[in-house]
Amino acid sequence: GYREDEGLYLESDADEQLLIYLPFTQVVKLHSIVVKGPEEEGPKTVKLFSNREHMGFSNVNDFPPSDTAVLTPDNLKGKPVVLKFVKFQNVRSLTIFIEDNQSDSEVTKVNKIALFGTTVETTDMKGLKKIEDNH
Amino acid sequence: MVLEATLICIDNSEWMRNGDYAPSRFQAQTEAANLICGAKTQLNPENTVGVMTMAGKGVRVLVTPTSDLGKILACMHGLEIGGELNLAAGIQVAQLALKHRQNKKQQQRIIVFVGSPIKHEKKVLEMIGRKLKKNSVALDIVNFGEDDEGNTEKLEALLAAVNNNDSSHLVHVPPGPNALSDVLLSTPIFTGDGEGGSGFAAAAAAAAASGASGYEFGVDPNLDPELALALRVSMEEERARQEAAAKRAAEEAAKKEKQGEQQSSSQDVTMTDQDSVPASEADDKKKTTKHDEGLLQEAIAMSSTPSYPSGRDTNMSEVAEDDPELALALQLSMQDGTKDAPSHSDMSQLLADQAFVSSILASLPGVDPEDPSVKDVLTSMQNQSEKKDEDKASKEEEEK
Repeated sequence: GYREDEGLYLESDADEQLLIYLPFTQVVKLHSIVVKGPEEEGPKTVKLFSNREHMGFSNVNDFPPSDTAVLTPDNLKGKPVVLKFVKFQNVRSLTIFIEDNQSDSEVTKVNKIALFGTTVETTDMKGLKKIEDNH
Repeated sequence: MVLEATLICIDNSEWMRNGDYAPSRFQAQTEAANLICGAKTQLNPENTVGVMTMAGKGVRVLVTPTSDLGKILACMHGLEIGGELNLAAGIQVAQLALKHRQNKKQQQRIIVFVGSPIKHEKKVLEMIGRKLKKNSVALDIVNFGEDDEGNTEKLEALLAAVNNNDSSHLVHVPPGPNALSDVLLSTPIFTGDGEGGSGFAAAAAAAAASGASGYEFGVDPNLDPELALALRVSMEEERARQEAAAKRAAEEAAKKEKQGEQQSSSQDVTMTDQDSVPASEADDKKKTTKHDEGLLQEAIAMSSTPSYPSGRDTNMSEVAEDDPELALALQLSMQDGTKDAPSHSDMSQLLADQAFVSSILASLPGVDPEDPSVKDVLTSMQNQSEKKDEDKASKEEEEK
């Protein structure tokens, strides 16, 4: 369907940097990430920040990223980048900062972002049952 | 109801001493800034507004964004004029102040007043604009005072760099009788990007406009639509009367020659040709523009004479709006009224046409053609018209 359509992409606006904020509906552990894009304008340096809300372009450099990935053309075709698992044990939100692109052009284009990982065991409220008093 | 944090940047440079905006540029500016504060806080109670100056000893933030209107208004007092405008630094400090706002959910907006020459290059401003756009800060620029091309060019470049989906605006206010704040009231800076405007802005605009008689007839259609409508209708009727008088005056000279011809020609002007009616009205308008004053006097004289069929017009005007047939008849009657006896006979001939009359009467609300009293009136009118014809015929005989 639309997921694999090469014609659909995310494009940067004022300059070549992109800042994407992904809040999760529950706590997750992240294992690896796939970023697909065109060979020329696809992203190069990607910084990931876990559990930081309300980041702006002005404070991306204020704290160190949880992980950094420099993408190769292989990655842009779909090869996953394995992350430092220990840093992503308790992730409620993820901020992806794309700093530059492969050809240093004015515009960065991204076709697909995929995250691989597991959920963290949390209490399932629907499973809670009232204890019957059977005396 | 956009949730916004706004920072107002005031130009308090030496150029503000100028009196081309009453009472002085600086006072006009502070008034406008006060109005903006009020409008923004009214739009949404959680909105915050801050104030800073860009000239003077240096760029200085007077009030960090707060929703306390009193604090904002108080800090506007005792501001000193002096120094030169530093636009680049001013905007950058404003951006920083907004970045550290308490409620991160608020959208960021900077409103800049520019009333003195900008010493920065266009490139510098464009870069600043792009940075603002990247951090999704909207920018409103009020350009007043300086009329030179340089400022306008730079500000337009700045706006182009910042603008994202028309959220940023540039307003030029030329010096003139209107106060700076009044002009701003009608701009998107107050009306909030076409969301429908705040009640505050609309009310203030109405008050200002009615004071300066900005509205036709001095009545705001929003406040009193019926009054405005009544005024407009009476104005149009008066205009039509004047046109009729003009036409009558022009034709009076030719009347005596044409009397014989007019009898046959007026019969042609029946219910058929709609085009001729607007054409003749256009002619009337031309004549009115040429001989204005004399016609006005004639119109006054006309309206005082009892033979003029104006009484009929005012009664039928409301009904005419619903019925196009009736409206056409009305137009014809106005046009015919200007011509003399021949047209009277024409009108009466129309009235004599029973089918036509009964169709008109049927469309009039509350009138039943079958009603005996109505029938009596009809027959009496017919007799009157016959009498008039007889009188006229005898008159003509006498003249010969």
